[in-house]
This record gives sequence, structure tokens and C-alpha cells, in this order.
Amino acid sequence: MKKTKLGEFEELVLLTVAALQEDAYGVEIKRELEQRLKEKLSVGSIQSALKRMEGKGFLTSAFGEATQKRGGKRKRIYSATAYAHRVLSEMKDIRVGLWSSIPTLAHDLKTI
Amino acid sequence: MNNPNPVHPPKWPVRFLRFFVKKEYLEEIEGDMEELFQDHVEQFSFRKARRMYTWEILKLFRPILMRNLAFMSNLTYQGMFKNYFKVSLRGLLKNPTNSFINIFGLAAAIGICVFAYAFARWTYSTDQFHELKNEVFLVTFFADREGTPQQYGTTPRPLGEMLKNDLAHVKKVCRVEDGNVVVKYEDNVFHERVRYTDPEFLEMFTFPLKWGTTASLKDVNSIILSEPLSIKYFGDQNPVGLTMLVKFDDKRSKAFKITGVAKEFPEALTIRFDFLINFDNLRTSGPDYDFHDWTAFVNATFIQIDDTANIRTVAGAMAKYKKLQHAAVKEEWAISSFAFEPLATLHQRSEDIHDDISRSSQTNYATINWLIGISLLLLALASFNYINIATATAAKRLKEIGVRKSIGATRGIVIFQFLSENVVITFFALIVGVILAMTIFIPGFEGLWDFNMDFRLSDPKLWIYLVVVLLFTSVASGLYPSIYISKFQVVGILKGTVRFGQKNPITKILLCVQLTLSCIFMVLTVMFTQNTNYLAKRSWGYNPHDAMYTLLPDRASFDKLAALMEQDPDVLKVSGSVQHVGKKNLVTVLDFGDREYEVDELAVDANYFETMQLQLLQGRTFEDHEGSDRQSVVINELMAKNIGWTQPVGQVFRIDSSQFEVIGVVKDFHNHSFVTPMRSTMFRVANKDNYRYLSLRAKEGTELETYKQLQASWARLFPETPFDGGYQEDIWGGYFETIKIYSLVWRTFSCMAIILAGLGLYGLLTLNVAGRTKEFSIRKVLGAGLKNLAANISNQYMVLFGISLAIGAPLGYIGAKLMLSSSYAYHMPFGISGVVIAIIILIVLFLLTLSTQITKVMKFNPVEGLKVE
Repeated sequence: MKKTKLGEFEELVLLTVAALQEDAYGVEIKRELEQRLKEKLSVGSIQSALKRMEGKGFLTSAFGEATQKRGGKRKRIYSATAYAHRVLSEMKDIRVGLWSSIPTLAHDLKTI
Repeated sequence: MNNPNPVHPPKWPVRFLRFFVKKEYLEEIEGDMEELFQDHVEQFSFRKARRMYTWEILKLFRPILMRNLAFMSNLTYQGMFKNYFKVSLRGLLKNPTNSFINIFGLAAAIGICVFAYAFARWTYSTDQFHELKNEVFLVTFFADREGTPQQYGTTPRPLGEMLKNDLAHVKKVCRVEDGNVVVKYEDNVFHERVRYTDPEFLEMFTFPLKWGTTASLKDVNSIILSEPLSIKYFGDQNPVGLTMLVKFDDKRSKAFKITGVAKEFPEALTIRFDFLINFDNLRTSGPDYDFHDWTAFVNATFIQIDDTANIRTVAGAMAKYKKLQHAAVKEEWAISSFAFEPLATLHQRSEDIHDDISRSSQTNYATINWLIGISLLLLALASFNYINIATATAAKRLKEIGVRKSIGATRGIVIFQFLSENVVITFFALIVGVILAMTIFIPGFEGLWDFNMDFRLSDPKLWIYLVVVLLFTSVASGLYPSIYISKFQVVGILKGTVRFGQKNPITKILLCVQLTLSCIFMVLTVMFTQNTNYLAKRSWGYNPHDAMYTLLPDRASFDKLAALMEQDPDVLKVSGSVQHVGKKNLVTVLDFGDREYEVDELAVDANYFETMQLQLLQGRTFEDHEGSDRQSVVINELMAKNIGWTQPVGQVFRIDSSQFEVIGVVKDFHNHSFVTPMRSTMFRVANKDNYRYLSLRAKEGTELETYKQLQASWARLFPETPFDGGYQEDIWGGYFETIKIYSLVWRTFSCMAIILAGLGLYGLLTLNVAGRTKEFSIRKVLGAGLKNLAANISNQYMVLFGISLAIGAPLGYIGAKLMLSSSYAYHMPFGISGVVIAIIILIVLFLLTLSTQITKVMKFNPVEGLKVE
């Protein structure tokens, strides 16, 4: 996991990008994540995560349409690369593996 | 998406965004921000959307999104700063004496600044830890007293309950009343103060419990202790569940079950408690506490409002209660209006509110101003040292400046270089200063007054403060030298035609100001110390040595104790009284038919004058305490003088309806400390049944044994009641401690001022002598002796020093006179001895500083001095 260097928040953003498909641009990602995490996020945190992951090769991006609401500015649509999908599924496997081993590790786990 | 009235995000943040964001990201991010803004406009108000927009833009200011700003990429400033830093460090190491003077001076001044900050923070944080400080209000009222409206912190008794029942906005009410009781648990018996209060007290104020439950106060049989009191009675053990006996007076007592112990209180607070019991216990503690009496008051009533804004509504509803109060009391006691004081500002306002529950710390607020003044003064003194040394050493840096300028540095850049150097020096000083403050100033001051300022480095405001101090000090001390040094022309410097000697008028003025200030400080300190010594020796008008007293619960205890003590061969006299000198007195109004006159009154027995050794000047003292002297009084000189009696003995006046005759006059004596002026005082014969004090005089030198004997007799006679007495000398012990501390604090500041000025002088002298090595060498070769050399070195400083003394000494004298006469009703007679002592000390210090350099010049070999090229 270490060599992929994907932070927890980055992973969430990446998953959101993958889920949103063609709608994956800044504000929409923020909206979606806020709804799921039930907390406010800043544009800055989303943007820096996106730019960082683009630099690491998890994301590619291209300009999309421009709307009046955006003051005539174009959106930038992000999409997850094949490498990103692979890393994501690796991480999921690791997690699933860990989860499945919990009951045998802790007998008297009361509250989870 | 078509908006008929397009709204736009604020302009400045957009510009800022365009300025810092990487070009390739700009379109996307600006679009995102715009879209988000439009969403927010729909959801919230326009103003809120704008605010959120600006905030979001600020949060976008991250390295990953920022472009390499053009001016940063063109010039590598890092190298330049590195060079500046290296040059400043080398400069510091090259001249350790000067660096020490600069850094130590600044550090000491900054240390005092940090201390001032800690003190101010502590004072302003008083009572600010309550979570509901903005919702909880103290009910106060205004009433006309002696023609002026005054604010009182007490409340008519029935009001609290009525407010709770009548007004919807009042969520909670708690009344607070205090009482003196004796608390007993097993062998521990002490006089204590309990606080009667409603159970809401612990909900409205933030006093979390260490053990037990808050709600238990609802039970009238519960008692809640503060942590120190719990330790006093039970040590570290958890006392919840144990029973304590509270004796309200001789006849009434009640057992309380301990149901809670409060956590340690924060350091800065005025509203606190030792014991809390339910308010309803007032029914038990006294027979006639009437909860519905509009003419009587309860110590304090606090209300909690549902919303702070509703306090106006509550205030508007108070007219009704005013009427109720007016119906119950005489006209002169009528309340003119009610007011509400939020807990958040109560402590700051408490000086103006009479008998309010929050102790006033007006002197602390005054002290803050003093500390600010002194910090600035010391900073100024230290900065002057820096300025003087920097301008005097400028010659050594001329070449460097010439080179820098010729390779393209503008004057601005040179100024900037010197200022940044200064930041480095001040930074070192800051570190040393904070260490000084934390290890010496703050713990020292806390130790003197026995309190804890709760100073922490983790306080974020402290760091802001330190940065401000750093920048302010660097600029204040560095601006003049940097401007001065940077003004020289390149050509002149490199050609070697720029010459400047030590004759800089600014240097002289600054040194003169320093010496003057230290002279003022010195005179103040010496005179304060003299006054402290004087007060310690001042006569009280009676003899407090070998005298002691104890408070009595009733008359029977006097008879028993007096009988026992009289058997002691060391006891010369025993006397009983209702009031006691230095402890308590009554204020009585005398009626002269045409006018009334207010005096202090003490009711005593016939032995009292001998016991306290009050000096009789005229007439006689009481002879018979049972019969004939009932209508006689003994007065002090001041009373005779104030009333205008030339022949006081035999004069008569009335108190209420009975007539009294003056039979004797005693010498004036201090019933209060020296801060308060003496007052007209008279003695009457005490009714034996009212004796509350037993005082006695021991044989000289047997004070200690007799006091022990008194305590032992007490313990034998009244094991259930704690002993409450002391040495007569100790009544004002705390007061003398206070004066001593003041004088110590003054001495510290004065020492610092003098050290700073002395260091400055020393630094300048050293530079001056070093710069004139060749001159002195030639003089020595030509046969100049000690006298000639000493005169040559010191002449210019002598003049400065003389001027400083001539200005500083009178100013210091006037200042001390003003300060002493405003703060002490009785102070030492002013004379010039203090000024003379101060001047002598200063001259000695001055000569010592001079002599170090003179010996240096005397000792060195002129051949070495002439060899230097």
C-alpha cells in the first residue's frame, strides 16, 4: 500500500471521481462527498487532492462544457486511470481481508 | 440557469485568486467558485454567500495550486537572506561585549514585556471560564445615596423568586447568601464561611465536580465542598457520603451529608465557594430570616436568560418590582432602577458596584497600565543602547556598505538588510527574554504575592504578541541606525573621504535620556524604600508590642478565660471590650442640637487603656464599668480638634436621646492602617454582656509564651470552638508585607533601568576608547599621566551625566512626592536625603564604569597602540 501513496481523503475523492463518471468536476465532487461524509469540505482541499493525484497519475482530466452559472468558464472533467482502478481494488482487497479476520482476532469486541 | 438579476462574487477575492493560482488551473477553479457562489446565493443570504466565497478563496491559497510568482522566480532571495544572516551572526561573534549588551538589554526588557502580558492575561481572564458567562446576569440596582446615583450588587430578598415565576425569558435564578459558621468533622473544628444558594448555582456557573453529583444540592441536607476545603478536612480521601456538623450559632447546628467535591478552581476567579448548602437552610440557620421582606437584601441574585438579546425585555418588566419595593421602604431607600450585569464583564465593572459578589481588582487593572509604561520604558532604554552602539560602530561597516551599493544595492535594500539583521538579534533576545520571564520574573512575582498566573507557552495569543514585540522592537531600535548608515555615498566611502567621528548629537541625546530615566528611577526607589522603613517604625499611638487579643463567642467565655489568664504571672492586664482597636469599630452619630457629627466608637472596659497602652493626655479614663461612668466618654485629640473644643473635658453632647460627658482625652492612635487617615474616635463603657474581645498585655519578652498559654487555655475551656485571635502587631502584618513587596518590585525595575543605562554607557565608552587608541598612545608617549588621560576620556560624559542628574533628580523627587502623598495618608516627611543617596549611588556607579576604561588605557603599552595601522 505504501508505494501507491494514496491518502485516506485522496482515496475518497478518487472513488467519488470514479463513481461520478462524466459528472466528475470540482463542485460536483465536493457536493457528492459532502453528502456522503455529512460534513463541509473546502474547495481548496478537493482541488489540492485532485491536483496531487493528477500528478501521481491516478487521474486524467479534460475541459468540459461551459455554463452561464459558471460565468462562462469551462468545467474540468476528471476521470480515474486504469492504474487508479487497480490501486483502488487492491486497497479494497486489503481492507476486506482485514475485516474478515477481525472476529478471530478479538473475542470480546463489544461495540463496532 | 438564466438569472434575471445576475449577482457577482466580490471583486477583490477574484483578483487575488487570479493573482496566485497557476494559469492552467485558473479557468476551472474560478468556474467552480462561481458555481458554488451561485448555489450559496440561492441557499443563504447574498452577504453570507460573499463571506463564504472570500473564505473559500483564502483556503485555496495552497502551495500546490500556487504559481511561481514572477518576482520570486526572477531573483533568488534565499541566497540574499542567507548572506544577511551570516553577516549578522559574524557581526555578533566579532564583538561579544557589544552583542552581550544588546542582547541582554533587549532580553531583560522583553522579559518584562512578557511578564506584563502574563499579568494582563491573568487579570482579564478572571471569571471568564464560565460557559454561560453571556447568559448569566447579576441583578443590580441603582439608588440615590447622598445625592448621587450608586449601583449596588445586592437584591431585595423576594425579587429572585418572583423573577423566576413571572418572566418567561428568565430560565434559571440563583440567590446567594453568605454566613459565618463553625464546621466540625471529628477533631477538625474551624471557622468557615458557607454559601447558601439555590441548586441552579452549579448549573449556571461552570464549577464541575470531582466527586458527587451537582443535582444533590436540591436536598437541604447536602453540602458541597471546594477541593482545598476537602483536602483540609479529609486529605486525599473521597469524603462523599460522610457527615459534617455545621454550627450556625451557639444554639443552632445541623448535620450535613457531603454529596460533592468541586474540581480544582481555575486560577483567575473571584466568584468561588468553600461550602455550598441549599438556600432553604437560611430558615434553619437564623430564626428570623424573612424570605418575603422587601426591605432586606440578599447578597446576590443571578439570573440566566434564554437569549442574551432578551435582557432588554426583562429589564422592561422591572417597573412592577420597583413599585413593590417603594411600597415597602422609606423614601431614602427607594430603588431608582434595576440593571443587569453579565457575568462576562462583572469583574471589570465590580469597582463601580457596591457590595457585589465579585471582588474588585481595580488595582490590577491599574497595575497593567503601570506595567505597560515600565515595559515600554525598559524597551526604550534597551533600544537606545542598540542605537548608540550601532551608530558608533557604523564606521566598521562602511566598506561593506560601499561594496553592496556598488554592486547594485539601493538605499532601501541596505536599510532592509540592517533591519533584518536587527530581527535576528531581537530574535535571540526574545528567546532569552522568554526564558528570563518564565524562570525569574513570573515565578518571582507569583512567589511574592502567593498566587499563580497560569502562564502557558501554549497560549496562541502569546505567540502573536511575541511576533508583534519582535517586529516592533526590531524596527524601533533598528530604523535610525539603518537610515543613518545607509545614507553615505558609495564614491565617498570607497575613496575613503567619508569621515565621521563619535560626535553624533543623537547618540548624546539618547545617552542623556537614559541617564535621566535611571536617575528618576533611582530617586523613586530610594524614597520608596525610605518610606517603607519609616512606616514600619511609625508609632501607632498605642503599644501593639506584647499585646494580644482573641474573639469571644459570648460573655460567659470572657469570664472563664479572663479568670484563667489573670492567674498567669506573665499577664499584666486583661480587659474585655465589644470592639477592638485595629479589628472592629462602630460608627456613631453625635447630636449637638444644631448639627450632627459622625465618629468611630469603641466600647471597652476600664482596663482597656492600660492594656493597649493608649496615652491619656487630659482628664481621666473610666473608673467604674458598672455604674457611674455609663454616660462618660473618652475621646481622641483629633475629635476635640475637629469639633473645635479647646477645653474638651466636661463637654456634653447627645447620642439618640441620652446625654454624654467627655471625661478624658487620649493621644491620637491608628485604628486603621496608615493608608487611611485617622478619624475622630471615642470610647464608651461596654456592657459586660456584649464583650466580644478579650485583650491582654504580657510582660515584656514573654509574648510568645503568653500567646501559647492563651491558646492552650482556650483549647481547654472551649474544645468545640476554634481559637480566633492573634498578636496585636500582626493585625496589619499583611499590610506591611504589601508595602515591602511594592518596594521590592520598584527596586527590581530600578535596578534594571540602571543596569541598562550602565551597559549603554559602558558600551559607548569602550567604543570611544577603542577608536582613540592612537590618540591615547601618542598622549602617553608624550608623558600624559592619569589625570590628563582620565579627563580626556571622561570630559564629554561628565557633562552629559551632570545634565541628566540636574533634570532627573528634581523630576524623581516630585514624582515620588506625588505618588507617596496620593497613596499614603501618613508618609515620611519629605527631605532631600533620598535624592542625595540616589545621586551618590549613581555617581559611584558612573565612576566605576569610567574607571574600567581608564585603567585599560593606563595599562596598555603605547607601542602596541602606535603599531596598529
